[in-house]
Amino acid sequence: MIREKPWFAVAYMFLVTVFFSSIVIGLTQLTRERVEANERLAFERAVLSVLPDIRIEEMTRPKIHNMFVETIEEPNESSRNAYVARRHGQAAAYVLPISGQGFWAPIKGVIGIETDRRTITGVAFYEQKETPGLGAEITKAPFRNQFEGKVIWPHGDPIEIKRPGETLGENEVHAVTGATQTSNRLEIIINKALERWRDQSAGEGGGDQ
Amino acid sequence: MRPIGAENRKLIAEGLWQSNPVFKQVLGICSTLAVTNLVLNTVVMCVALIFTLSLSAFTVAVLRTLTPRNIRMMVETLIIAFYVIIVDILLKAYWPEMSSSLGPYVGLIITNCIIMGRCEACANANPSGKALLDGLFNALGYSFVLLIVAGLRELFGMGTFLGLTVPYFSGPYWDKWIIMVMPPGAFFVLAIVVWVFRSIQTAKENKAK
Repeated sequence: MIREKPWFAVAYMFLVTVFFSSIVIGLTQLTRERVEANERLAFERAVLSVLPDIRIEEMTRPKIHNMFVETIEEPNESSRNAYVARRHGQAAAYVLPISGQGFWAPIKGVIGIETDRRTITGVAFYEQKETPGLGAEITKAPFRNQFEGKVIWPHGDPIEIKRPGETLGENEVHAVTGATQTSNRLEIIINKALERWRDQSAGEGGGDQ
Repeated sequence: MRPIGAENRKLIAEGLWQSNPVFKQVLGICSTLAVTNLVLNTVVMCVALIFTLSLSAFTVAVLRTLTPRNIRMMVETLIIAFYVIIVDILLKAYWPEMSSSLGPYVGLIITNCIIMGRCEACANANPSGKALLDGLFNALGYSFVLLIVAGLRELFGMGTFLGLTVPYFSGPYWDKWIIMVMPPGAFFVLAIVVWVFRSIQTAKENKAK
């Protein structure tokens, strides 16, 4: 019988793989634009959510996009690699992108900083694959809200993530219980980005304009 | 409508009850433990599993006379992966929030033992219609147990059901059992659910004798 021939198994596996893969590839192509738009929107949502006085929870997708286009400016020379949020033509805050290796996969997010270049207005993450219920808690309000009003330290580590329960200084937040690895890595990611930004913009005084 | 034959009725009863995937076959419970802390996530996972299990069983059964015996598991894995990736792509394109909150777990359906189990135990040696029915009802039997586990965990752990408030549990008198939302909670609830169902089963069997 043909089914027993060794070459048949090879040819059969090859054909089956080609067949199913082509369907998957076709479907990926068909949905690619939508998936990219979703990723873009996740980023825009994150940027807007770290700004003070903006409530985006209730907003629809097009509204978030419009608001991003209206208020956020691409990084310029004086803001270094941070996006600039404008209100009435004035710089109202900086939004610094951060990224680095998490526990399972890269974590990408943004940090909002006031025009004094020291006070944090919020953090948000738009891409992460940490363990749901543990590491992934970094995307939830209880962890993120801790950063609001924290002050970037002028020397050494800009921000420190302490064990839960410890008393906190003005540049310190609590880690997520049970997610030491995620917390440690996140501390490195945040500090690397902030340190670079702080040192680059040192000596330039307050905000621009 | 054609009346359900005795053979099909047996198939349905086995999938849902007599050889229920979770409390009798004890297959595929890894995801039971991972995603059942929120009912909504569990519902989506169950729908994905029902889709994948019924269609992979069907496809494996269609190809069963062609597939060489020695490479059948490779082919089965390929087919399962194919359907899971379709679910993953659709979620990414049309429900990005859910896709990111389920994280890697959708992809992990590929390794859910109940799917390979049904392909090997039934779809491999039976006509496609029977395989589809077997897959569908095994998936449903799996899903209803998962939903019970998720319902209990969300209720005790967060005081909500599907994110909605529940009288008493959402109030100030209910001290939330945080452990229920954390991974160990899944072990406790699963063990209790399996215990209850098995006791009912044995009681019935003893009566029948």
